[in-house]
Amino acid sequence: MFKKVLVANRGEIAVRIIRACRELGIETVAVYSEADRHALHVRYADEAYLLGPAPSRESYLRADKILDIAKKSGADAIHPGYGFLAEREDFSAACEENKIAFIGPKPSAIAAMGDKMTARNTVAAAGVPVVPGTEGEAGLPDNELLAIAPQIGFPLLIKATAGGGGKGMREVKSIEEMPALLQSARREAESAFGDGNVYLEKLVEGARHIEIQILADSHGNVIHLGERECSLQRRHQKLLEEAPSSELDEELRNRMGTVAVKAAQAVNYVNAGTIEFLLDKDRNFYFLEMNTRLQVEHPVTEMVTGIDIVKEQIRIARGRALTYKQEDVKFNGHAIECRINAEDPYNGFMPSTGRITHSLLPTGPGVRVDTGVYPGFEITPFYDPMIAKLIVWGETRAQAILRMRRALEEYRIVGVRTNIPFHQTMMDSHRFMAGQYDTRFVEERFSMEEAEEYRKNHEEVAAILATLVAHRTTERSAQIVQRNERDTSNWKWVGRWERMHR
Amino acid sequence: MKYITTINDKEFLVEVLDDHHVSINGKTYQVDFEAVSGQPVYSLILDGKSHEAYVREGDDAWQVLLRGRLYPAKVEDEREKRLRVAAGGGVAEGGEYHLKAPMPGLVVAIPVEEGQEIKKGQVLLILESMKMQNELKSPRDGVVNRIKVKAGESVEQKQALLSVH
Repeated sequence: MFKKVLVANRGEIAVRIIRACRELGIETVAVYSEADRHALHVRYADEAYLLGPAPSRESYLRADKILDIAKKSGADAIHPGYGFLAEREDFSAACEENKIAFIGPKPSAIAAMGDKMTARNTVAAAGVPVVPGTEGEAGLPDNELLAIAPQIGFPLLIKATAGGGGKGMREVKSIEEMPALLQSARREAESAFGDGNVYLEKLVEGARHIEIQILADSHGNVIHLGERECSLQRRHQKLLEEAPSSELDEELRNRMGTVAVKAAQAVNYVNAGTIEFLLDKDRNFYFLEMNTRLQVEHPVTEMVTGIDIVKEQIRIARGRALTYKQEDVKFNGHAIECRINAEDPYNGFMPSTGRITHSLLPTGPGVRVDTGVYPGFEITPFYDPMIAKLIVWGETRAQAILRMRRALEEYRIVGVRTNIPFHQTMMDSHRFMAGQYDTRFVEERFSMEEAEEYRKNHEEVAAILATLVAHRTTERSAQIVQRNERDTSNWKWVGRWERMHR
Repeated sequence: MKYITTINDKEFLVEVLDDHHVSINGKTYQVDFEAVSGQPVYSLILDGKSHEAYVREGDDAWQVLLRGRLYPAKVEDEREKRLRVAAGGGVAEGGEYHLKAPMPGLVVAIPVEEGQEIKKGQVLLILESMKMQNELKSPRDGVVNRIKVKAGESVEQKQALLSVH
């Protein structure tokens, strides 16, 4: 097994990886930016090294510095987590050149799946169904994309070829609005990935976002761990994930799983990966993209399969065969994950920065919280607004919802605004309870007002609380120092006391 | 002592009768109210019902975090309310509105120009922060008066960005 793993990331995922390493008896090396000196991953690791200033371009994206630290510290492997360098083909290759194991796929697989156009072409050739869209070469100029658009049909999506997480993605309803949207998509893609190339894809309306987790070792074994339902998104950013999906039955799960395995085999994939699909109303599914890394939402799969995906990743990178065969993978119960973001759901989900003054995590049966923050931690504008992942498990979906509702009520974060009220409203939503939702649900049919009755019922209590605290504060500040009860000054009184006790 | 406490535009008349009694909109409750372990955490037993909340003073309102939900509450005594009303307080529909940066970030684009007429809800500025582009919108109709920043500029929290007349 590896002796020392460098974790090239921050926040909850760095903590998650450090925990897996500890359980495997592997030492860990953390890297951090100036803004993260007090971060939890720095404190939990065995060693920690400064990368540079807060902006990720000067710290967590500095592959050269990270490799230097890996060599200096004697790390024999690097785990990139998600984001930052996780899907950089050149970083995986540089690790190989420096004889440091990259805990992730080979550069060739990252390249094939990283460029979304190439990925579409590769899996389509292997017989995997893809969403209709731009075919052939990537990096087409605006005039060619404008010419192709009517053939694909509206509404359609402009997507960044190097994309992910909804960045550089725009929905287009008509040809008239397309030039401006192409420009803003390219600008966002350039800023996020350093690559402004985009392509077009038909917008599958009323679709659900279903993704299949796969594990592949270097001995040719590929298995899938079932699906995750990730349809609840806002601006193409996932907010809530669950496993299994209420829309799939065993037959469809097996079919999608088999296709996912085929897609991974098409690029000789090794390590953990996720194949994302769109499932339409008629239960047809289409390949969307492959994420060649560990994903934010991996815990829901861990909760229903009992498989530690991070540990499997480390074992696979060491050259070990998978611990599980497909027939060993059993699904038990239901898991839900809520991403707790520093965002204000009452104000258009505007990010909220500041210091977390108090934080009390929910605990109890079936509750897991993955986080990198603690009371006193500063939420800065430099990184993602995600501050924690709240994951619950229940024997049934209904039990998991009730448990999530309870856990959200227990969760206390003070100092920054969070989207906890959004998740609470979602748990109370009848459509969510019934499992009747798609990728447009949050933006088009969900309203924070929907379950506001509960909130209104407690306004009176909140008013009493605020008034009592304000009243106490006023009274305290208005307090007049009482006259000394003694008939004389303290000095005279002390003198008298001393004379009496001589 | 009588207070007027406003939550989400709803006014509550709260009277602290004594250490163990409070009336709200004329209804009296027995209260047992304690701060917990020197933190802004409060335990309130209201006619036998137990509530726990975090209450802290925000910039312009008290922030009450109760059962995971945040309630911004403005607490004024009768004198303060009279003064505010006399001074024409409340949400100004006229006059100048100053758009301030709600968080530090990078100005990505300013899709309006000085002198341009704008409608309520129209995007005034796009600010990139936490890896997301956030659209800052106008709270009312008006004319863009002065733009104080440029695209590509980094701004601090609460920095004035532009004003609407």
